[in-house]
Formats: sequence, structure tokens, C-alpha cells
Amino acid sequence: MGEKKNDILQGTLVLLVLRTLASNRRMHGYAITARIHQVSEELLRVEEGSLYPALHRMEQEGWIKAEWGKTEKKREARFYSLTALGRKQLQQEEESWRRLTEGVARVIRYA
Amino acid sequence: MAWYRQIRNLFRPNRLQRDLEKELAFHVTERAEELQHAGMSEAEAERAAHTQFGNLTAQIERTRDMDIPEYLEAFLRNLRLAARSLAKAPAFSITVILTLAMGIGANSAVFSAIDAVLLRPLPFPNGDALLLITQAQRKSPEPNVAPVRLEDWHRMNSTLLGITGYYAQDSSETSGELPEKLKCEFVAPRFLQVLGISPALGRDFTSQEEHYGGPSAALISDRLWRRRFNGTPDVIGKTLRFVDSSHPIIGVMPASFRFPDRDADVWMVSAPDYVYARSRELTWFTAIGRLKPGVTLGQARADLNTVQADLARQFPKPDADISPRVELLKESTVGGVKRSLWILFGSVSLLLLIACTNIAALLMSRSTGRQQEIAVRFSLGASRAAVAAQQLAEVFILALMGAAVGLLVATGASAVFRSLARDLPRVDEIALNWRIVLYCLVCAVATTLLSGLIPAVRSTRRGLSQSLAQAGRSQVSGRHPLQLALVAAQVALAVTLLAGAGLLLRSFQELGRVYPGFDPSHVLTLHVSTSWAETGNPKGSRQLMDRIEDGLRNLPGVESATSAAFLPGVPVDFAAQLKVSEGRAESEPPIRAHVQWITPSYFATMGIPLETGDLCRNDPGKTQLMVNRSFANLYFGGASAIGHHLEQPGNLYWIPGEIRGIVGDARETGLDREPAPIVYACNNLIQPGTNFLVKTHGDPATLISAVRRKIHELEPLRSVYDVTPVSEQISDAYAENRLRTILLSCFAATAVSLACVGLYGTLSYLVNLRRREVALRLALGALRKQVVGQFLGVGLRTAGVGCAAGLILAALFARLLSGMLFGVTATDPETVAGVLAIILTVSAIAALIPAVRAARVEPMQALREE
Repeated sequence: MGEKKNDILQGTLVLLVLRTLASNRRMHGYAITARIHQVSEELLRVEEGSLYPALHRMEQEGWIKAEWGKTEKKREARFYSLTALGRKQLQQEEESWRRLTEGVARVIRYA
Repeated sequence: MAWYRQIRNLFRPNRLQRDLEKELAFHVTERAEELQHAGMSEAEAERAAHTQFGNLTAQIERTRDMDIPEYLEAFLRNLRLAARSLAKAPAFSITVILTLAMGIGANSAVFSAIDAVLLRPLPFPNGDALLLITQAQRKSPEPNVAPVRLEDWHRMNSTLLGITGYYAQDSSETSGELPEKLKCEFVAPRFLQVLGISPALGRDFTSQEEHYGGPSAALISDRLWRRRFNGTPDVIGKTLRFVDSSHPIIGVMPASFRFPDRDADVWMVSAPDYVYARSRELTWFTAIGRLKPGVTLGQARADLNTVQADLARQFPKPDADISPRVELLKESTVGGVKRSLWILFGSVSLLLLIACTNIAALLMSRSTGRQQEIAVRFSLGASRAAVAAQQLAEVFILALMGAAVGLLVATGASAVFRSLARDLPRVDEIALNWRIVLYCLVCAVATTLLSGLIPAVRSTRRGLSQSLAQAGRSQVSGRHPLQLALVAAQVALAVTLLAGAGLLLRSFQELGRVYPGFDPSHVLTLHVSTSWAETGNPKGSRQLMDRIEDGLRNLPGVESATSAAFLPGVPVDFAAQLKVSEGRAESEPPIRAHVQWITPSYFATMGIPLETGDLCRNDPGKTQLMVNRSFANLYFGGASAIGHHLEQPGNLYWIPGEIRGIVGDARETGLDREPAPIVYACNNLIQPGTNFLVKTHGDPATLISAVRRKIHELEPLRSVYDVTPVSEQISDAYAENRLRTILLSCFAATAVSLACVGLYGTLSYLVNLRRREVALRLALGALRKQVVGQFLGVGLRTAGVGCAAGLILAALFARLLSGMLFGVTATDPETVAGVLAIILTVSAIAALIPAVRAARVEPMQALREE
């Protein structure tokens, strides 16, 4: 199922979800996967098996909050949105991602 | 936040599950719809969506783990499982619950007493800062403080917020139909401020009221308020009438305020500028002080010593001879019973330990029977910790239930303490509160660990459990040294408690057997209300005394009547330093003797024989003295003491008196003490607290109402109270002794029965385990009595080892008891022999039953069960 490179690097899922929620007011789980898939021009695909445990863990951490609501098709779904705490966490995650890629890029270039 | 939501989820697992299902199902539906848009058929899209999503149940579970505190959930699951498995073994469960209820209940009961009496501060705001201040004097045992000196101390010190004082007097109050005895507390200024208490109704004394000649005023107790004034608020302004004064009521104290006596009825002012109060020689206050914040007891002591040194320079006589003695009020209130209570607590903790050991042995027997179940759980992949945790959960459930029943036992404790030892300080503060509940919980956790840990760890040893699971039908079982060691430990602890109880019982018995030198049987004692003011008129007091004594003496059924300052046989310390007026050699030791004030008929009434000389007479002019044999021997050697005069330097009340005769030794200062050297002064005057003594022909109790009527007829304005047989008063004085003896005996009896049950249970279990082995041996020709002997031997050997260890522990325990023993040594051979006899007999019986049952095995039947 799918090529290996499409899988999301361990630990970056939180960053992707927080970032996605930061620019959209509220989204349900399926919309988040679809959004990441689309924005990354189909490079990244979120594994359902890790998405929901990650969402629930982030909810317990207080970074996102969840509420039940209706989709346009009047289906009941659980909508997630970013909290203030989550915004702070996003900054941290972005910063550490920046450092990681910079580091990796240097190693690739000079090592 | 997060943990709150997690815990909330824990308690609504169904809702959580529903939500998760809904959320994930939505995802699958959306995906399927998308795939359908992309051109798949509905069925195909559905299947593809499901395939991509993976195992829905597994996904739900993984997500759910994020929403639930894992450890708590495992814990609750263990509890549920445990409850189910316990419900299947009701006999086992009930045995454990009852054992623990007894252990935890008794323990919490004693703890509730320790908590109320020793641990909690006195019931005043910041009660631990309160001090008791008395005076020490080289030549006199007088601990009370002169009012003028109390004021000096209050004014000159720098470490205390304030010093106040009190003395008590039983007065007759006459505003009701009949005169009623009220316990009046006369207090120095600042009394309520120092204690930090305000009246529940009305107000404190004003400074005018605290001066001599100012308006009189009284505060009354909540008890008196409800009894006499029906608890109505218009009590303020009503008047209490005493023989020599009347006092308007200005306030009612809170119900919890019972200081300095728990039966205090009225508080009134004793003004420090009253004419007698200005004498530096006349002492009457017990002083109470309050430490400034941050000041230590040592600093206050040093400060008051400096103050007193200043006073000694100003007033060399008598202040140079006086030094202040400062101790914490709480310490002085409860210090005396500290050791008894801790010893009881230690004993009752040993009892709980026995209960735990007992349960540990039971659990081990039970877990051996569950090897199959444990092996199955292991083979299904349970971890060792999980299996052990589930077993601990079982014990915990039982311990909780035991603690709950135990709490009921503890609730009854205050009633027991109150009935066994009325005079135990702060006994009425013993009550159930959240601290006791918490303590019960702690006990439950502790017993769970103590009794559950070893069995849980042992039964989950993988190697052992697997091998046993396979060898479940072996012919000869392994040895069980740990179970037997646990039984031996129980026996050892039971021996310790039994030996301690035995020593106390023997002391109690000895105390009853000793002849005190006087005869308390058929003697009634009573008090008649008087005031300290009346002692200012010696002539009137003397006439009053004669009138009462004659009246009592002439009652039918009365042999003789007398009075005494101290009740004989009740512990008292009142030794004064005396001087022989005729002079003695310098080398002779100074004379210290207990002084007892009596009237001459005392010796006949109490049955103390006159040995030499004459009986004293009550001579108003000069004091006539009698001394006891010990006094004569100690201070006069072979020479005759008769005819010498004794004086007490510095004591204004003491008129030098002549020794008229020598009487036999009596244990005046306490039944448990050797007779002290005693001087009897035969000119006792009536004062508050004087004991009238009436020797009756028959049962003294039958004369109680006649005595009351007679006094009422003679002195209609006075009240009579505390009319009781002397023997009862003496036994009440030893109530603490009785309390610890009775309680320790109960604990010991429980301990012995628990140890027996332990021995019986373990041995029965061993017999059961070895049924086939026994059957085989019987089939091969072993004699039944050999089988009996074998199991009896195991039981007795175990008990023997326990006894040996127990005797060592008992020797240590007896050391703690020294000082509480009377007439027996800590290593009393009779007690030791008695303990061994009891333990070995009961353990023989406990072992015999399973041993005989083993021998009754029908070989063919047992072997066929295979």
C-alpha cells in the first residue's frame, strides 16, 4: 500500500496537524488527511492508524480541542480546532523542524 | 486538565466507546464516498475504504488508550476481577474480613485515643503554646503560686503573652429549690485572653470586675446553662447565690470549654488586690501562661528564672527560696498516660501484625490451590506483575471491607475508654473524625502490602508455577517452610502479648492482695461544700467540723466518723521538710515526710493500730501529732520519737506540735507504694475537698441516702456530693492501670486465638495436600497413631519455635512495662510458665484436630481419587 516515501516521518505528524489546523478554523479528521494530501501535492499521506491516536493525544495535552458538529452533508463529525496552547506548541515544533532540516541539509552538503 | 478528562472518561467507558466508533466510522464513510466519486462502485469503494483503514477495533483501542489513564484503568479492572473471584470463595473472604476487622478495628480504636489524647493540640487556639507554671520550693511541696507573685511574673517577663491562674472550689448554690453543688473556678485576671477563648453568649470579665471591690460577675458553663436555665439567652443578668456572695451571670462559655476541670460550672474572679492576695506567703493559684510566637519553652524558662532572681533580691524572704517550674500544659495534662497509651498501641499493632501473618498464610494456601489458574493466565501472556497485581487487588478489597467493619469497632472505642477510665485526661475528646477514617485506610493499604506481597510474589514465580501446574497430581508435595515460619511468627507475637498481659494481670492481682495497713472496706467517703473564705474563721470551721462528724457518728449503722485531707490509698505526693524543735545532730538526714491532716477517730475508722504512746486529741490550742512506724524508725532510730516537737519552717499554717504516739504503717500515699514516713496532724480543719469518712456496720452503699439526709438536716444550705465507698475511689485512682490491664488482656486473648486459627488452618491445609501420601503410607502398613504423631509433631515443633522466639520478644516487652509492674519482676517465672502452658496446650489442641483427620484418611478411597 503506497510507496514508502509517502509515509510521514515519525514525529512530524503533530507539526503537520497543528499547522493545518492553524490556517483553518475547524476540521474533522478526514478533512485533515485530505488537506495534507492535497497541499503537499500528494507527496504526503497520513496513515489513519496514527492520525486518530495522535489527535486524541493532542487533545489530552490541551493543544487542540474537539467538538461534535455537522458537515455540509449533514453528517455528524468530530471537529478539531487549535487552542492557544496549541499555537505555542506549533511555534516550537516549527522551530525544531527548521533546525532539523537545516542540520540534515548541512550534513548532506558537507559530510 | 488532561488528567481530569482522562479520569472522567474512565467512569463513562460506554460513551467513550460510542464516540470513538462514530468518529472513525465517519472517516471510513467519507473515504468511501471519495473513492466512489473517483469512479468505483459503491461496494468496491466501501471495501477499499475499510481495507485502507485497517482493523477498526484495533484502531479504536489504540485511540482509546490516549483517552484513559492506563494504570488507573488496570487498577479498576483488577478490582473488578478480584471482587468476582472473591465472591466465589465466601468462606475465605469472610474469614479474612473478620480477622482484619478485628485487627484494624482494635488498632484504630487505640489510635483514636492516642490521637485525641496525645497528638491533637489542647482544644484552645494555638493550644501548644500554653504553659503550666508552678513553683518549686526546697522545703515545701506547695506547687501553687501566690497571686501577688503571679502578677509580678506577668508584669516582669518578656517571653510570654500573659500569665493567669485559677483555683477550684465546690460551692453550694442556693437560688434553686435545693442547694446544689457547683464546681466554681476562681480565676486570675486575663484568664480567657490567655486561653484564647471567648464566651459563646455574653462577654468576658471587665477590668473593673477583675479588681477587688469591683462589681461581681460570673461566667457559666454550657452544661449549667442548659440544665438550670433551659438554654435560654435571657440568662444574662440572672443571679447565682452562694452562701457568702451573689454573682450576676455575664456570659455562657462554649460547650467545648471545660477548663480547668471537665465538670466546671462557674468561673468567677479572684482579684489579685484582695487583702490576703497581697501576701507573698499565701499561695493558691495554679498558673497558666501563653508563649509569645517564636519563643521556645527553654527561653521562657530562662526568662522566668531571671524574673524570679530579681524578685529574690527585692523580697529575699520568701522569694529567695522559690523557683518557677515551667512545662507545656499539654505535657502536664497527658504526660502521665503517654506510656500506657503507646504500650497499648504497640500491643494492638502486634495484634494487627499477627492478623496480617495469618492472612498471608491463608493466601499462600489459597494460591497453591490456584496454580492452574495462574498458569493459564501466564500462558495467555499475562505478565508476572499483572498476575501479582491482581492478587494484591483481592487482598486490598478484603482489607478495605475489613477496615470498614473495623471503623465501626473504632466508633465504639470512645464509649469503652470512657467506661473503663473515666479519669483518663481528655477522654471526652475521643471521637470519630476524618483522621480516624484516614488512619483506617492507611491500615488497609499497609495490611494489603504486609499480608499480600509475599504470597503474590511467591505464587507468581514462573518456574514454580509451571512445574506445579504440571505436577498437580504428584504423590508427595514439597515442604512448606515459609507457611510454618509464618505460623511460628504468629505464635511468637502471641506469646509476647500474653506474657505482657500476664505480668500486668499478676501485678493487678498482687495489688489487690497486698494489705495496705488500713481497712478500706465498709468505709464511705463524702464531701460537704465549703469555701476557702470560711477557713479564715478557724473557730467556726472547727465547730462545723465537729457538728458534721458528730451527726454522722450518731447515725444508726455507723461505727465511727472522721475526716482526712487526703484519701488513704489514693496516690498523692505531698512530702514536706520538717524540723525537730528539740534539735538533732547535724549529721542526721533532713526530715521529709508526707503530712496527713485528720481528726483523732481516723485511726479507728481506717483500722490503723496504735503501736505505742497515746492517741492524739483534737486540741484547739496546739497541734497534736502522730507518726507512723516508718517515720519513727527512719528518723529516730531506736530512740523514742514520742514527746518530740515537729515544726515546718516557713509554713504559716503549721503550729509546732508534739508527737503523742506511733501508729502502724499504712500505704497512705498509694496502694502500690511502700508505706512512706507519715506525720498525722490531728487538728484537721474543714476546707474545700476535705474527705469525711464513715465506717459502717454493713454495706456502706445502703447508708448513702441516710448520710445525705443527715447533712441536709444539719446544714441545709450546704450540698453533699461524691458519696462513694472508699474502695471505689481507690480503684478509680488506678483506673488507668485497670484500663491497660483489661485491654492488653483482651488483645492477648485475641492474639492467642488468631495464632491458633493460623496453626489450625495451615496444618489442615498441609494435611489436605498430603492426603494421598498419607493414604499410600497407610496402605503400605503405617499405623494411624504414627500419622497423628507426625502432624502433631509438626504443629508442636512450630509452636515451640514460636514460643522460644516469643520469650525473647516478651523479655524486651517486659522492659517497657517496668514501672507499671507491682509485686512481680519482669521475668516472673510463674508468668512465663503460665504463658508457655497456655500456648502449648492450645496449639496442641489446634494441631490435634487436623492430625487426627489425617489419620482417618481411607487409603483406598483417597488413592482412587487420582
